Amino acid sequence: MTFINYVARELNCKIVYYGPGLGGKTTNLQHVYSITAPENKGKLISLATETERTLFFDFLPIDLGQIRGFRTRFHLYTVPGQVFYDASRKLILTGVDGVVFVADSQEERLDANLESISNLQLNLKEHGFDLSKIPYVLQLNKRDLPNALPAEELRKLLLVKGEPVFEAVAKKGIGVLDTLKAVVRQVLIKLRKSA
Amino acid sequence: MESGNIILHEADYQRLRSILARTQKDLRAHLVMLIDRSGHHIACEGPDQEIDQTALASLAAANVAAANALAQIVGEPGFSVLYHQGNQRSIHISDVANRFSLVLVFDQTVASGVVRWKVRRATFFLDEILSEMLTRSDPSASASAPGQGTTETAQFTDEEINRLVGEINLK
Repeated sequence: MTFINYVARELNCKIVYYGPGLGGKTTNLQHVYSITAPENKGKLISLATETERTLFFDFLPIDLGQIRGFRTRFHLYTVPGQVFYDASRKLILTGVDGVVFVADSQEERLDANLESISNLQLNLKEHGFDLSKIPYVLQLNKRDLPNALPAEELRKLLLVKGEPVFEAVAKKGIGVLDTLKAVVRQVLIKLRKSA
Repeated sequence: MESGNIILHEADYQRLRSILARTQKDLRAHLVMLIDRSGHHIACEGPDQEIDQTALASLAAANVAAANALAQIVGEPGFSVLYHQGNQRSIHISDVANRFSLVLVFDQTVASGVVRWKVRRATFFLDEILSEMLTRSDPSASASAPGQGTTETAQFTDEEINRLVGEINLK
């Protein structure tokens, strides 16, 4: 649900990073924050537990340039990945324009990835969204770990609808920007179609 | 349930601003802000420009969402008003048209009853404007109202989108 402000000539869109706990959603946002020029970003807000696990969400507003004289402002959110925070996860999807699914490539996290995708579909449905119709990108994170499953195998198991897939090592910034660009592109294309 | 995009044009913006400005003046509020449920800041009036409005809008929207979920747990359809009382400043958040919220930041010197009364009055007028705005934001309605639709975003070309995305380097 984009907010199109003709007065300020701004497009305001909401992207949510979804995925299993400790998969690297917050790390994605932290990297985006670290490489964004001060004039193009707001505060990175993290509502986290004492042990720095996301309790409610992380939030980062960024400006990504102009299109036809419209300033594009993207609000990036993460959700808490831990299973028992489902109520909070659902709330963050309110008014979402695009979703990045951050999958943990480690073999032992495969079930958690699958469970989180099902949970995403369910929670989107409760907001009246259909995953097959909204901008969606899959990121395979933690590609540097020795126990990472082959990317091809993860694609087969996690792909939902032929979405763009990016291999990433978010803690080193690898693949983070490409993932963001892909979802931004989809959001703008969707915005054009929905106009 | 989710609905379509929100489109703000100059005429609606000025009407919204005049209501926010009057509320701000009546309550001598530091800030009066209208946000949507996604956390987008729609319009704002008030002398305190030091407050991070983007962060305030995002956190207020999350606050509203969490409060409504809490309400449902205890068998209520929702909580229409949230009130956070501080030592110096307080925040009052109220529902507008089921899709927006009015956020006030004001001094402790203002009686909460006066805040409620002024907010109720503002909400009445905001509701009317926002309902009209949402009707015009509906793509099916905009077809019959030339110039009021999302025509400019509909004209984005692949080249323009590719250029924007290609130029994203965040530095």
